[in-house]
Amino acid sequence: MRVSKGETYERVFVNEEVKLCIEQEAGSHVKIHVINASFCITVNQIGEGCSTEIYGLEHLHGEDNVTAETHVTHAVGGGRSNQLIKFVLDDNSRGRFIGDLKIAPDAQQTEAHQTNRNLLLSETAEMRTQPQLEIYADDVQATHGASTGQLDESALFYMQQRGIDKNKARQLLVNAFMKEVIDTISDEKIREELLDAVDGVVE
Amino acid sequence: MKPLLEIKDLHASIGGKEILKGVNLVINEGEVHAIMGPNGAGKSTLSAVLTGNPAYEVTSGEVYLKGENLLTMEPEIRARAGVFLSFQYPVEIPGVSMTNFMRTAINEKRAYEGKEPLSAKEFLSLMREKKKLLELPDKLNNRSVNEGFSGGEKKKNEIFQMAMLEPCLSILDETDSGLDIDALRIVAEGVNRLKTPHNASIVITHYQRLLDYIVPDFVHVLADGKIVKTGDKNLALELEEKGYEGL
Repeated sequence: MRVSKGETYERVFVNEEVKLCIEQEAGSHVKIHVINASFCITVNQIGEGCSTEIYGLEHLHGEDNVTAETHVTHAVGGGRSNQLIKFVLDDNSRGRFIGDLKIAPDAQQTEAHQTNRNLLLSETAEMRTQPQLEIYADDVQATHGASTGQLDESALFYMQQRGIDKNKARQLLVNAFMKEVIDTISDEKIREELLDAVDGVVE
Repeated sequence: MKPLLEIKDLHASIGGKEILKGVNLVINEGEVHAIMGPNGAGKSTLSAVLTGNPAYEVTSGEVYLKGENLLTMEPEIRARAGVFLSFQYPVEIPGVSMTNFMRTAINEKRAYEGKEPLSAKEFLSLMREKKKLLELPDKLNNRSVNEGFSGGEKKKNEIFQMAMLEPCLSILDETDSGLDIDALRIVAEGVNRLKTPHNASIVITHYQRLLDYIVPDFVHVLADGKIVKTGDKNLALELEEKGYEGL
């Protein structure tokens, strides 16, 4: 699909597998959230001054096996892109993030960020992260970060010391981790629904 | 009457290294006990062990809170039973708001005591009242726990939580470290105002300075994992003057 000059394409996909191939014309905006489903999103900024935002939030249980894949290309300059992909992996779940970010030689003054953060809640869950950055222009701002860790034991103990049950403390930390992605959803109704679903676990 | 806290020949280690080597201490309601001592003497280990920090292992000895075996309780049960630690290094918890955190903590404690949870309105008015005690800003409610707080704000926030939870035994672990004189005064006044005939405090500190504000009934010197000397508030002054070497 193609997002025309100056247009905005914004979608939140929940529990729905997503396969998208998008070309962005000058000054267009793309903002996509995928919650709890595999996705493959390819975006090519072919016009100047575009913005692309891709958010993924995957809370996996049991034998879930989810792949989040992004291919973002800045073909021309003055564009921005931001990606935030988070996985929470419990039980025997498997997660995979593949993220290609390409900044072409002509794409000067591009600002591109890619972040992948993962939380392992069980010893048998597994996360694989394959970020790939190809930057051919010199006047750009590009950052990427990937980390996979466990819940902060000192935060857990701090909460327990205030009388909060350990499982509830774990849930509060997991919710806080997921909230960062949900907070970026523009549609208030969807955002509130997802936040309620997340907070509801604690009540 | 049973003592509030009774520690008998407590030994504890971390990573196989013995830190506490036989601590004995009895604390009654209404008392303030200062624990002083050089670095590495085991002061923070004692607070960690009393609160059930899983990093430490109790190798022998007994601890009773109001006659109940404290050491078999989970950390959260100890907290609900009234043991409170003002952390030397309060932990930042990004994404968990003070309101959500505090409300969960209060209602867990109330459930333990067989009380109904506080309504949102009751809870918020309690927050407001206790914040005043520590001169904390209103915006605190929506901020993540300790995230981006200054050193002074973190320590005030600890005492604020103590005011909210009304523990029977408060352990203040180096609460004075990193505080300027104004923050120290606010924190100490907060602690003093929370004092009742039915609660007690353990004040762990390096320096006499805090004890000018929070006057202890007893001062204990902890050295190499044992209490080596006990006295009244004058012992702290003596230590200030002569140092631990002078003992």
